[in-house]
Amino acid sequence: MKLLIVEDEPKTGEYLKQGLSEAGFVVDLARTGPDGLHLGLTEDYDLAILDVMLPGMDGWQVLKALRAAGRGLPVLFLTARDRVEDRVQGLELGADDYLVKPFAFAELLARVRSLLRRGQPQAAAAILRAADLELDPVRRRVYRSGQRIDLTAKEFALLELFLRRRGEVLPRALIASQVWDMNFDSDTNVIDVAVRRLRAKIDEGFEPKLIRTVRGMGYVLDA
Amino acid sequence: MKPLSLTDRIALLFALVVAAVLGLLGLVLDRAVDRHFRDMDRHLLAGKIELVGNLLAKARAAGTLDALPQQLDDALVGHHGLALAVLDGAGRIWFASRTETFPHPLLTMARRHERSLITWTADGRPYRGLAERVSDRATPGGPYTVAVALDIRHHAEFMALYRRTLALAMLLAAIVTAALGWAVTARALAPLRSMGATAASISASRLTARLPNEGLPPELAELAAAFNQMLDRLEDAFRRLADFSADLAHELRTPVSNLMTQTQVVLARSRDASAYREALESALEEYERLARMIEDMLFLAKADNRLIVPHRETVDLGLEARRLVEFYEALSEEAGVSLSVTGEARVAGDRLMLQRALANLLGNAIRHTERDGAVQVRLDQSEGEVLVSVENPGPAIPTEHLPRLFERFYRVDPARQGSAEHTGLGLAIVKSIVEAHGGKVRVRSEPGLTRFEVHLPAA
Repeated sequence: MKLLIVEDEPKTGEYLKQGLSEAGFVVDLARTGPDGLHLGLTEDYDLAILDVMLPGMDGWQVLKALRAAGRGLPVLFLTARDRVEDRVQGLELGADDYLVKPFAFAELLARVRSLLRRGQPQAAAAILRAADLELDPVRRRVYRSGQRIDLTAKEFALLELFLRRRGEVLPRALIASQVWDMNFDSDTNVIDVAVRRLRAKIDEGFEPKLIRTVRGMGYVLDA
Repeated sequence: MKPLSLTDRIALLFALVVAAVLGLLGLVLDRAVDRHFRDMDRHLLAGKIELVGNLLAKARAAGTLDALPQQLDDALVGHHGLALAVLDGAGRIWFASRTETFPHPLLTMARRHERSLITWTADGRPYRGLAERVSDRATPGGPYTVAVALDIRHHAEFMALYRRTLALAMLLAAIVTAALGWAVTARALAPLRSMGATAASISASRLTARLPNEGLPPELAELAAAFNQMLDRLEDAFRRLADFSADLAHELRTPVSNLMTQTQVVLARSRDASAYREALESALEEYERLARMIEDMLFLAKADNRLIVPHRETVDLGLEARRLVEFYEALSEEAGVSLSVTGEARVAGDRLMLQRALANLLGNAIRHTERDGAVQVRLDQSEGEVLVSVENPGPAIPTEHLPRLFERFYRVDPARQGSAEHTGLGLAIVKSIVEAHGGKVRVRSEPGLTRFEVHLPAA
């Protein structure tokens, strides 16, 4: 998967490039609006990450020019300004997502992956597996080593999210949004408690441990 | 044009009022004096006519009509300014004194045998005259008509003098009144000027000055009191802002100094990879806390500047509350706290913001509830208003803390300051959100129960 980053802040640009490269993407970095647009028009990218404030031409103009040239790739905006008008303008111009600085890198990664996944067929009915854990989305049942495990509705949704996004570090805000539809930054440790309870049910007494804490970033299920 | 000062305005108005009153008075007196002169003249003229009539009747009876003109001349000697004419039945002048100056309009009138008092000017002199028939047709040559005219120059002169004097008096009175009015007003407005001087001396660093309230007239005392109240509010707001800045610096200093110390310690000697990893992870936690605090502060700053504009839609608060209870389920179960929601309510508001406000209240209640306690959310929709109350059992919060609970970084127990999880901005955000929706938030606390009440306008 090939990504284009247009970001003029040198440190942010470098770290985004490094982080995304290490997450397995091929990344090109442009420092100005015109450079970014040039790359966007000449190369073939799967997704673009645009800063709003850019020298030369701003992110909106780059997006407009890309769309005018018939490039339909998903675009994620980064901005330091969190204004409703900005969001509206971005969405009207055809931006796909929007992230306000400062953001957690794990959050960005998760959003990039879901944008790339968008449009791909989801095998909603298929049984999800990790090691000896099985989750049946249709009959809403969970087994570990063949043993039936009882989960509450939210625990089930949480585990399903982990399984569908295996190997991805899921930030707390993303979990709150996906499982509980709570779209604010809660300063309580609700997610930690919920994950701990889920782990107690699916990992305690079993090997290997499936859900892992990534300190300062979130949680990941890998096997 | 520069507007006139209040003092100038009042002085000018005084002058105008005095001039108008005196002018009106002068006009009334003018009329009265004129009428008096006219009555006097009529009386005099009528007397002369009666006299001539008597002389005429006597002369006719004695048959000495021919001697009458001489007699009349004699009678008129010494009466300067008096002119007399006697007309016979054919309208001819039978006798006239000083005919060369005898005013013609009177003769015309006399010829028509009209009786009325007229005033006119001839050869630059004002006259007043009266004509009257004094004998019947039986008298030979009759009937005779007598016309008398009086030179009223002295009356006219008197009136002119009177008018000049009056005008001068009016002018003087107006000027004197204006000057006095100016002086009096300037004196009366002195407290206003001193108020202005005090107000001018007030600055952000000197907000303690107050206008003296003593000895002011009631109108100004009211103004001074209102002004002082405004200063009280300003001072309070300034103090809060200063406190807030101090708190903010403190809140930021703690994590930054944690980060610095930790990084310095880790860098002090070489370590294995896992130690660096540990240090970075710990740093990340501090950064997260900082980022969250900055975000919350930005939200509050926008709310202060009225930039938080709720996107209005109908929000089912009952549904939101139940969803939040579900969200907090794991946390509350761990804490051994039960959550319940009763009632239904709908408001027009921003769903995300209201969700956040409710979440903060609920999180706050769970945090302050002991094991086996029960947090209750009650929704109550009445006419025009929705009441959301979140109550939790617990010791009473001392009254002095209650009004300040919604202030930023305010904590009842300063020892909890370092609490790593929450920023101390949660309730301030609740207040901002509720107020952006045109509502009010309040807290009541008594032994055993603390209750937060949110009043919102109904959908």
